[in-house]
Amino acid sequence: MGNAEGRRSQLLRGVLDLCLLAVMGDGSAYGYEMTKRLRARGLSIVGEGSIYPLLGRLERDGLVETHRAASNGGPPRKYYSLSLEGERVLETGIGEWKAARDAVDGALGLVKAEVLP
Amino acid sequence: MSDFVEECRREWRRLGVPDPVANEMAADLTVDLEEAEAEGGSPEDVLGNSAFDPRRFAAAWAAARGVTSAPTPYHPPPWRTPIAIALSVVVGVLTLGAGLALAVGRGSSSVAFATQRVAAVPGSIRLFAPGPGRIVSPPDLPPGIVGTHIAGVDVHPLALILFIVGVVGLALLAVWYWSPWSGPRRFRRDGGRRTPSWN
Repeated sequence: MGNAEGRRSQLLRGVLDLCLLAVMGDGSAYGYEMTKRLRARGLSIVGEGSIYPLLGRLERDGLVETHRAASNGGPPRKYYSLSLEGERVLETGIGEWKAARDAVDGALGLVKAEVLP
Repeated sequence: MSDFVEECRREWRRLGVPDPVANEMAADLTVDLEEAEAEGGSPEDVLGNSAFDPRRFAAAWAAARGVTSAPTPYHPPPWRTPIAIALSVVVGVLTLGAGLALAVGRGSSSVAFATQRVAAVPGSIRLFAPGPGRIVSPPDLPPGIVGTHIAGVDVHPLALILFIVGVVGLALLAVWYWSPWSGPRRFRRDGGRRTPSWN
């Protein structure tokens, strides 16, 4: 099972930034809120490491904008939202993901799996 | 503040992360962890498998934001390796050859060139002597030829110079290969297009 988890992790690593940008499309969010949004969409990051370094890189690359605001009367938190550049990168990335997915589907479609009783 | 956040702060301090940035990251992390705990979750729900390695997590976050000032382990750029290997092989072979010439040629320290065949009186054979030239007469010379004019070159000084230059060259190559100043910078305090927002 370790190999399966490792492969899943490798696959996600290339698109986790796109997933974060995508959940930001629902509106600005703080770090943990984005983790919850990903989970709600069926993507758990528990085995994948934290999203904070990734958010830091997205911010540094200008793909997200940040602001501080209080959440539900709590302490001020850092909210992330898509920048114009981030929207463009997300759109391009989705196209690239679909092309890669279709190509892999095409290759894997030739494989016949036999399930033993 | 949790032990995890405290450990992160220590790592950020060690890495030279400015206090305002470290405070901001620590505060964000703290409220997220508290929220997860209030919902019955664990730090792993917030941090994934990074929850088990605070120092690595803290270093990765700071590096991603471009706010570390402590040097990180240096890796030479990929193009430098094949060039360094090729140069090292060339210089190494020359140095080795020079070293062998110095070691082996202790007793007969010259290279001889047969310049022309001459008629001469057979005498003692003197090979590899430096100087303007010698007449040698091997036992199996063809008829009419009684000797060969030999000019010698002393290889000791040449080999010594080559050996020293080779050793110095290898040392310079090593310095060049591992030196950060001949490649990309090891770290940048503000490497992105935007200044990290710690205000």
